[in-house]
Amino acid sequence: MPPLMEVDDLRMHFFTRDGVVKAVDGVSFALEAGQTLGMVGESGSGKSVTALSLMRLVPEPPGKVVSGDIRFKGESILRMSEKEQGRLRGDRIAMIFQDPMTSLNPVHRIGRQIAEPLRLHKGASKKEAWGAAVELLAQVGIPQPAERAWDYPHEFSGGMRQRAMIAMALACDPEVLIADEPTTALDVTIQAQILELMREIQARTGSAIIMISHDLGVVADIADHVLVMYAGKAVEFGAADEVFCRPLHPYTWGLLESLPRHDADDGGRLSPIKGQPPSLINLPSGCAFSPRCAYATERCCSEAPHLVEIDSGHSSACHFSADKDFLNRSPHSATGKL
Amino acid sequence: MAALLQVEGLTKHFRVGQGVILSHMNKTVKAVDDVSFAVEQGETLGLVGESGCGKSTTGRCINRLLEATSGKIEFEGVDVRRLRGKRLRVYRRDVQFIFQDPYASLNPRMTFGEIMAEPLVIHGFGTRREREQRCKEMLAVVGLSPEHIHRYPHEFSGGQRQRVGIARSLMLRPKMIVCDEPVSALDVSIQAQIINLLDELQKEFGLTYLFIAHDLAVVRHICDRVAVMYLGKIVELGGRQEVYSSPHHPYTESLLSAAPVPDPQKQRARSRIILRGDVPDPMYPPTGCRFHTRCPIARFPICSEEEPPLRSVASGHETACHFAKAFPISAGRMTSGDAHQQDPFGGFDGRPGGNLGDFS
Repeated sequence: MPPLMEVDDLRMHFFTRDGVVKAVDGVSFALEAGQTLGMVGESGSGKSVTALSLMRLVPEPPGKVVSGDIRFKGESILRMSEKEQGRLRGDRIAMIFQDPMTSLNPVHRIGRQIAEPLRLHKGASKKEAWGAAVELLAQVGIPQPAERAWDYPHEFSGGMRQRAMIAMALACDPEVLIADEPTTALDVTIQAQILELMREIQARTGSAIIMISHDLGVVADIADHVLVMYAGKAVEFGAADEVFCRPLHPYTWGLLESLPRHDADDGGRLSPIKGQPPSLINLPSGCAFSPRCAYATERCCSEAPHLVEIDSGHSSACHFSADKDFLNRSPHSATGKL
Repeated sequence: MAALLQVEGLTKHFRVGQGVILSHMNKTVKAVDDVSFAVEQGETLGLVGESGCGKSTTGRCINRLLEATSGKIEFEGVDVRRLRGKRLRVYRRDVQFIFQDPYASLNPRMTFGEIMAEPLVIHGFGTRREREQRCKEMLAVVGLSPEHIHRYPHEFSGGQRQRVGIARSLMLRPKMIVCDEPVSALDVSIQAQIINLLDELQKEFGLTYLFIAHDLAVVRHICDRVAVMYLGKIVELGGRQEVYSSPHHPYTESLLSAAPVPDPQKQRARSRIILRGDVPDPMYPPTGCRFHTRCPIARFPICSEEEPPLRSVASGHETACHFAKAFPISAGRMTSGDAHQQDPFGGFDGRPGGNLGDFS
């Protein structure tokens, strides 16, 4: 049986006046029902564009999928007609956006906005859809949902707006829920509530979640698989425990090493990754990370590595990830793990 | 020895309802309410809390970017709130500011050289050529190339711009810098570079930092002492070690437990306290202890009626809770699973419609 959702060497480029921006340049992963995939990377690494591509929400032009495929239950989304894509979007695959302030319509009542996908996809009557919206608000923990459904977005707090966004995404019982930085705009205590809510929803509905975040802590908290992105490419993929505790790619090492921790004293200095992320128009030749990599060799500057499975289910896009001696040089090998 | 900066009973109220639209409200937001702390020469004091807790307002009052409503701010024994004219300028030379957003805090129409020389011009230091020399030296100190002096902010990334913001704050050789979320707009790998830079500069120039941030991990890394704020009040104040390893206030403990750690195995093993509801509207703060509406160990009526004072629980460690470590928080702790079923928003009494945004 094909996986629920499968992305195969996706390349989404933007053709701009200044040149071709390779925003997503070789991303592959597979997602099964009930799983949570965490996508991490810094700004400009292509996480959000990947998510928007899955929903076919990237404006084309300037964007264009130059190669690769996205399959939902074995069927290529890219080859569907626009109408078929529209039927999938918001129904089978739903998205939660980062900023609930700007992604809710300020002039429509919350209830109406949550009811909209039901009216659209399920052909529900106004009354049915409104009742369902109230029910959904209750499910995501909004007090007095029957009254609050009449509110406008400005009457909700940030955390409540994000709950309303989640209710909207859940309206049609989607099989895949894509969450793009759903907690970034929120305070840490509210973030904990929202993550808890998403866990609860997954346990109840069995939907798959793609969680995009720049916060490694959030991903460690909720994901069971992790995809690390750098300059549009997937550089490491594997089970969360593997990626965090036995990372294979030097970029992942660097990310984990540059993080201060609040649960332990690190004392002394952090070890940041040197330099800046590259421009996506003018990527370095060879491995895109080579100019910042402390272990780069001549080969890294000329030959681009591919994502290769090293251990079962754990892959890395580095020429040296299969080399045991090389891995022993990682900052994590000394202590065994972080 | 007296502290470099001594803040006592600092209070900042914002009047709401002075305009036409909100004139019917005529309310006061107590953004900072009776906050006291001291910063010693050479140390870094962290102010942490969620948005709206008053940490940034506190920083701005200290710099006199905002005028405090009441309270005392003493810098090297001088009453800062009374300073006027020339003496205020001298004070501002000694106490500089680093802003959060490197995109908004640098004038896009000025070159890096002009941006960095401006403090020198205002304070009348040096000739044009000397100023240029200082700018070049300072660019090198913060890890940029001296040739960048003629370039504009838009040509650079966030991390590089923040380096210029830091360089600008150092131009007048200040004694203290108020850093308002200096790394929160930056990516992880760049954030670590800037934190290390701030560390180095502190050693090199003997700086004192007041470090305002919401990221608990960053604060633990960089600060010697930490003050945790909630709704305009300091709820816990102590050495980094003490506050992080044995927090006495339930809010501190909840905050620490809510922030996930980047290690899935550890994260699964941690106990989680999930607070109910939102931070209440600062225009209508709860009576008694301001945290009682969300507190997992609140006892009534004392917590809703009587405001707990900041009391010493160990040497140099103070907390404002009636039940600080009187009994362990785990007695009233909710496990993460049943937090929602119990009462998802029971403690909710915020009035988001009236929320005027972020005071941090």
